[in-house]
Amino acid sequence: MSSSLAHFFAWLEHSPLGVFVRSLGVWSYGVINLVHILGIILLFGSILILDLRLLGAWRQVPLAVLSRPTTTMAQIGFVLAVSSGIPMLSVKTTDYIGNPFLLIKFPAIALALLNVWLVHRSTAWRAHRTRDLLPTENRRLARGAALSLAFWLTAITAGRMIGYW
Amino acid sequence: MAWLFRTGLAAALMVAAVPAFAHHGWGGQEEAVTTLNGTVVQGVSLAGPHATMKIKVGADVWDLTLAPPARTERAGLKEGLIPVGATVTVRGNRNLDHAKHEMKTIYIKQGATEYHVYPDRE
Repeated sequence: MSSSLAHFFAWLEHSPLGVFVRSLGVWSYGVINLVHILGIILLFGSILILDLRLLGAWRQVPLAVLSRPTTTMAQIGFVLAVSSGIPMLSVKTTDYIGNPFLLIKFPAIALALLNVWLVHRSTAWRAHRTRDLLPTENRRLARGAALSLAFWLTAITAGRMIGYW
Repeated sequence: MAWLFRTGLAAALMVAAVPAFAHHGWGGQEEAVTTLNGTVVQGVSLAGPHATMKIKVGADVWDLTLAPPARTERAGLKEGLIPVGATVTVRGNRNLDHAKHEMKTIYIKQGATEYHVYPDRE
Protein backbone atom coordinates (compact mmCIF):
# COMPACT_ATOMS: atom_id res chain seq x y z
CA MET A 1 0.00 0.00 0.00
CA SER A 2 1.34 3.42 -0.90
CA SER A 3 2.73 5.54 1.88
CA SER A 4 0.42 8.45 1.07
CA LEU A 5 -2.54 6.19 1.82
CA ALA A 6 -0.83 5.12 5.05
CA HIS A 7 -0.41 8.79 5.94
CA PHE A 8 -4.06 9.45 5.22
CA PHE A 9 -5.04 6.50 7.45
CA ALA A 10 -2.88 7.79 10.30
CA TRP A 11 -4.44 11.22 9.86
CA LEU A 12 -8.00 9.78 9.94
CA GLU A 13 -7.26 7.72 13.06
CA HIS A 14 -5.91 10.77 14.90
CA SER A 15 -8.59 13.12 13.58
CA PRO A 16 -11.22 14.59 15.94
CA LEU A 17 -13.70 12.10 14.43
CA GLY A 18 -11.55 9.12 15.43
CA VAL A 19 -11.00 10.51 18.93
CA PHE A 20 -14.74 11.15 19.28
CA VAL A 21 -15.87 7.70 18.06
CA ARG A 22 -13.36 5.97 20.36
CA SER A 23 -14.80 7.88 23.32
CA LEU A 24 -18.39 6.72 22.77
CA GLY A 25 -18.31 3.59 24.93
CA VAL A 26 -18.21 -0.15 24.56
CA TRP A 27 -21.39 -0.55 22.49
CA SER A 28 -20.64 2.23 20.00
CA TYR A 29 -18.79 0.14 17.41
CA GLY A 30 -21.58 -2.43 17.38
CA VAL A 31 -24.24 0.25 16.94
CA ILE A 32 -22.32 2.03 14.14
CA ASN A 33 -21.75 -1.36 12.50
CA LEU A 34 -25.52 -1.96 12.72
CA VAL A 35 -26.22 1.32 10.89
CA HIS A 36 -23.68 0.28 8.24
CA ILE A 37 -25.46 -3.05 7.74
CA LEU A 38 -28.90 -1.39 7.59
CA GLY A 39 -27.51 1.01 4.98
CA ILE A 40 -26.15 -1.87 2.89
CA ILE A 41 -29.47 -3.73 3.19
CA LEU A 42 -31.37 -0.68 1.89
CA LEU A 43 -28.80 0.01 -0.82
CA PHE A 44 -28.36 -3.50 -2.16
CA GLY A 45 -31.92 -4.69 -1.59
CA SER A 46 -33.29 -1.81 -3.65
CA ILE A 47 -30.60 -2.13 -6.32
CA LEU A 48 -31.18 -5.88 -6.62
CA ILE A 49 -34.89 -5.41 -7.35
CA LEU A 50 -34.28 -2.65 -9.90
CA ASP A 51 -31.40 -4.45 -11.60
CA LEU A 52 -33.30 -7.76 -11.87
CA ARG A 53 -36.22 -5.85 -13.42
CA LEU A 54 -33.82 -4.25 -15.91
CA LEU A 55 -32.42 -7.72 -16.66
CA GLY A 56 -35.88 -9.04 -17.50
CA ALA A 57 -37.57 -10.20 -14.30
CA TRP A 58 -41.13 -9.04 -13.44
CA ARG A 59 -41.81 -7.56 -16.86
CA GLN A 60 -45.46 -7.07 -15.88
CA VAL A 61 -44.33 -4.37 -13.39
CA PRO A 62 -43.78 -1.10 -15.29
CA LEU A 63 -40.17 0.09 -14.95
CA ALA A 64 -41.38 3.65 -14.40
CA VAL A 65 -43.32 2.45 -11.30
CA LEU A 66 -40.34 0.56 -9.85
CA SER A 67 -37.51 2.97 -10.62
CA ARG A 68 -38.36 5.82 -8.28
CA PRO A 69 -38.82 3.98 -4.95
CA THR A 70 -35.82 1.73 -5.57
CA THR A 71 -33.44 4.59 -6.48
CA THR A 72 -34.65 6.70 -3.54
CA MET A 73 -34.17 3.84 -1.05
CA ALA A 74 -30.78 3.03 -2.55
CA GLN A 75 -29.69 6.66 -2.11
CA ILE A 76 -30.80 6.63 1.54
CA GLY A 77 -28.95 3.34 2.04
CA PHE A 78 -25.79 4.73 0.46
CA VAL A 79 -25.84 7.81 2.71
CA LEU A 80 -26.32 5.59 5.79
CA ALA A 81 -23.48 3.28 4.71
CA VAL A 82 -21.04 6.15 4.07
CA SER A 83 -21.96 8.09 7.21
CA SER A 84 -21.39 4.98 9.37
CA GLY A 85 -18.48 3.60 7.36
CA ILE A 86 -16.18 6.59 7.80
CA PRO A 87 -16.57 6.59 11.63
CA MET A 88 -15.94 2.81 11.70
CA LEU A 89 -12.81 3.27 9.63
CA SER A 90 -11.63 6.12 11.88
CA VAL A 91 -11.60 3.96 15.05
CA LYS A 92 -8.40 2.04 14.23
CA THR A 93 -7.61 3.09 10.69
CA THR A 94 -3.94 2.11 10.81
CA ASP A 95 -5.02 -1.52 11.45
CA TYR A 96 -6.16 -1.58 7.82
CA ILE A 97 -2.82 -0.60 6.29
CA GLY A 98 -1.87 -3.50 4.04
CA ASN A 99 -5.39 -4.93 3.94
CA PRO A 100 -5.94 -5.89 0.27
CA PHE A 101 -9.74 -6.04 0.54
CA LEU A 102 -9.87 -2.28 1.10
CA LEU A 103 -8.08 -1.84 -2.22
CA ILE A 104 -10.80 -3.92 -3.90
CA LYS A 105 -13.76 -2.40 -2.05
CA PHE A 106 -13.23 1.30 -2.69
CA PRO A 107 -12.37 1.06 -6.41
CA ALA A 108 -15.44 -1.21 -6.80
CA ILE A 109 -17.61 1.48 -5.16
CA ALA A 110 -16.06 4.10 -7.46
CA LEU A 111 -16.86 1.96 -10.51
CA ALA A 112 -20.40 1.33 -9.22
CA LEU A 113 -20.98 5.08 -8.82
CA LEU A 114 -19.50 5.78 -12.26
CA ASN A 115 -21.93 3.20 -13.67
CA VAL A 116 -24.86 4.88 -11.87
CA TRP A 117 -23.83 8.20 -13.39
CA LEU A 118 -23.52 6.74 -16.90
CA VAL A 119 -26.89 4.94 -16.67
CA HIS A 120 -28.69 7.99 -15.36
CA ARG A 121 -27.39 10.21 -18.17
CA SER A 122 -28.31 7.66 -20.87
CA THR A 123 -31.17 8.38 -23.27
CA ALA A 124 -32.86 5.14 -22.19
CA TRP A 125 -32.98 6.08 -18.50
CA ARG A 126 -34.12 9.63 -19.24
CA ALA A 127 -36.94 8.33 -21.45
CA HIS A 128 -38.19 5.41 -19.34
CA ARG A 129 -40.73 7.43 -17.37
CA THR A 130 -42.32 9.04 -20.42
CA ARG A 131 -42.48 6.33 -23.10
CA ASP A 132 -41.91 2.64 -23.91
CA LEU A 133 -38.25 1.89 -24.53
CA LEU A 134 -36.78 0.54 -27.74
CA PRO A 135 -35.12 -2.89 -27.64
CA THR A 136 -31.67 -1.25 -27.92
CA GLU A 137 -32.52 1.01 -24.98
CA ASN A 138 -33.65 -1.97 -22.89
CA ARG A 139 -30.37 -3.68 -23.70
CA ARG A 140 -28.44 -0.54 -22.65
CA LEU A 141 -30.17 -0.56 -19.27
CA ALA A 142 -29.71 -4.34 -18.89
CA ARG A 143 -25.94 -3.93 -19.44
CA GLY A 144 -25.90 -1.20 -16.79
CA ALA A 145 -27.83 -3.47 -14.41
CA ALA A 146 -25.39 -6.36 -14.90
CA LEU A 147 -22.41 -4.07 -14.24
CA SER A 148 -24.22 -2.61 -11.23
CA LEU A 149 -24.73 -6.05 -9.64
CA ALA A 150 -21.13 -7.03 -10.37
CA PHE A 151 -19.63 -3.83 -8.86
CA TRP A 152 -21.87 -3.68 -5.77
CA LEU A 153 -21.47 -7.40 -5.02
CA THR A 154 -17.70 -7.01 -5.34
CA ALA A 155 -17.75 -4.01 -2.99
CA ILE A 156 -19.92 -5.82 -0.41
CA THR A 157 -17.89 -9.04 -0.58
CA ALA A 158 -14.56 -7.22 -0.25
CA GLY A 159 -16.04 -5.08 2.55
CA ARG A 160 -17.13 -8.13 4.51
CA MET A 161 -13.71 -9.74 4.07
CA ILE A 162 -11.82 -6.70 5.45
CA GLY A 163 -12.37 -7.97 8.99
CA TYR A 164 -11.16 -11.45 8.15
CA TRP A 165 -7.75 -10.46 6.75
CA MET B 1 -39.91 -16.87 -11.94
CA ALA B 2 -38.79 -20.41 -11.21
CA TRP B 3 -35.36 -19.68 -12.66
CA LEU B 4 -34.97 -16.84 -10.18
CA PHE B 5 -35.70 -19.07 -7.20
CA ARG B 6 -33.35 -21.76 -8.46
CA THR B 7 -30.59 -19.20 -9.05
CA GLY B 8 -31.18 -17.60 -5.67
CA LEU B 9 -31.12 -20.95 -3.90
CA ALA B 10 -27.88 -21.92 -5.64
CA ALA B 11 -26.30 -18.58 -4.68
CA ALA B 12 -27.43 -18.96 -1.04
CA LEU B 13 -25.92 -22.46 -0.84
CA MET B 14 -22.63 -21.21 -2.30
CA VAL B 15 -22.45 -18.42 0.29
CA ALA B 16 -23.27 -20.88 3.10
CA ALA B 17 -20.46 -23.14 1.91
CA VAL B 18 -17.77 -20.44 2.31
CA PRO B 19 -15.46 -21.81 5.01
CA ALA B 20 -15.11 -20.12 8.36
CA PHE B 21 -12.41 -17.45 8.43
CA ALA B 22 -10.06 -16.43 11.19
CA HIS B 23 -11.08 -13.04 12.50
CA HIS B 24 -14.07 -13.39 14.80
CA GLY B 25 -13.36 -17.06 15.41
CA TRP B 26 -10.20 -18.68 16.66
CA GLY B 27 -9.46 -20.59 13.47
CA GLY B 28 -6.30 -18.60 12.75
CA GLN B 29 -4.85 -19.24 16.21
CA GLU B 30 -2.79 -22.07 17.68
CA GLU B 31 -4.53 -24.69 19.83
CA ALA B 32 -1.77 -24.45 22.41
CA VAL B 33 -1.90 -21.77 25.09
CA THR B 34 1.13 -19.47 25.21
CA THR B 35 2.19 -17.52 28.28
CA LEU B 36 3.97 -14.19 27.86
CA ASN B 37 5.60 -11.89 30.40
CA GLY B 38 6.02 -8.34 29.19
CA THR B 39 5.57 -4.65 29.79
CA VAL B 40 2.58 -2.68 28.59
CA VAL B 41 3.39 -0.29 25.74
CA GLN B 42 -0.22 0.57 24.90
CA GLY B 43 -2.96 0.16 27.47
CA VAL B 44 -6.35 -1.47 26.98
CA SER B 45 -8.46 0.12 24.24
CA LEU B 46 -12.18 -0.67 24.30
CA ALA B 47 -12.80 0.85 20.87
CA GLY B 48 -13.42 -1.11 17.69
CA PRO B 49 -14.79 -4.59 17.02
CA HIS B 50 -12.71 -6.02 19.86
CA ALA B 51 -10.58 -4.59 22.64
CA THR B 52 -6.80 -4.48 22.17
CA MET B 53 -3.56 -3.74 23.98
CA LYS B 54 0.14 -3.98 23.16
CA ILE B 55 2.95 -5.41 25.29
CA LYS B 56 6.67 -5.66 24.76
CA VAL B 57 8.28 -9.06 25.27
CA GLY B 58 12.04 -8.95 24.79
CA ALA B 59 12.51 -7.00 21.58
CA ASP B 60 9.05 -7.79 20.16
CA VAL B 61 5.86 -5.79 20.49
CA TRP B 62 2.84 -8.10 20.71
CA ASP B 63 -0.66 -7.17 19.60
CA LEU B 64 -3.05 -8.60 22.16
CA THR B 65 -6.57 -9.12 20.84
CA LEU B 66 -9.10 -9.19 23.66
CA ALA B 67 -12.83 -9.93 23.65
CA PRO B 68 -15.43 -7.55 22.17
CA PRO B 69 -15.38 -4.28 24.17
CA ALA B 70 -18.45 -4.97 26.32
CA ARG B 71 -17.25 -8.45 27.32
CA THR B 72 -13.74 -7.18 28.04
CA GLU B 73 -15.22 -4.52 30.30
CA ARG B 74 -17.36 -7.13 32.09
CA ALA B 75 -14.14 -9.06 32.78
CA GLY B 76 -13.06 -5.96 34.75
CA LEU B 77 -10.60 -4.65 32.16
CA LYS B 78 -11.43 -0.98 31.86
CA GLU B 79 -9.34 1.52 29.91
CA GLY B 80 -6.54 3.05 32.00
CA LEU B 81 -6.57 0.38 34.75
CA ILE B 82 -3.28 -1.18 33.65
CA PRO B 83 -0.80 1.65 33.13
CA VAL B 84 1.78 1.81 30.35
CA GLY B 85 5.04 0.34 31.68
CA ALA B 86 3.30 -2.14 34.00
CA THR B 87 4.55 -5.72 34.04
CA VAL B 88 1.89 -8.23 33.04
CA THR B 89 1.53 -11.95 32.49
CA VAL B 90 -0.84 -12.91 29.71
CA ARG B 91 -2.08 -16.24 28.40
CA GLY B 92 -3.73 -16.87 25.08
CA ASN B 93 -3.59 -18.50 21.68
CA ARG B 94 -1.00 -16.98 19.38
CA ASN B 95 -1.44 -16.49 15.66
CA LEU B 96 -0.66 -19.59 13.58
CA ASP B 97 1.65 -17.31 11.59
CA HIS B 98 4.58 -16.90 13.96
CA ALA B 99 5.87 -13.96 11.93
CA LYS B 100 2.95 -12.06 13.48
CA HIS B 101 3.29 -11.31 17.15
CA GLU B 102 -0.45 -11.45 17.71
CA MET B 103 -2.37 -13.33 20.37
CA LYS B 104 -6.02 -13.79 21.25
CA THR B 105 -5.90 -13.22 24.94
CA ILE B 106 -7.68 -15.41 27.49
CA TYR B 107 -6.21 -14.14 30.75
CA ILE B 108 -4.18 -11.19 32.02
CA LYS B 109 -2.52 -10.80 35.41
CA GLN B 110 -1.03 -7.58 36.72
CA GLY B 111 0.46 -7.81 40.20
CA ALA B 112 -2.14 -9.68 42.26
CA THR B 113 -5.05 -8.72 39.98
CA GLU B 114 -6.34 -11.29 37.53
CA TYR B 115 -8.61 -10.62 34.57
CA HIS B 116 -10.42 -13.61 33.10
CA VAL B 117 -11.41 -12.49 29.60
CA TYR B 118 -12.40 -15.97 28.38
CA PRO B 119 -12.78 -18.12 31.54
CA ASP B 120 -14.20 -21.01 29.50
CA ARG B 121 -10.94 -21.24 27.52
CA GLU B 122 -8.59 -21.38 30.49
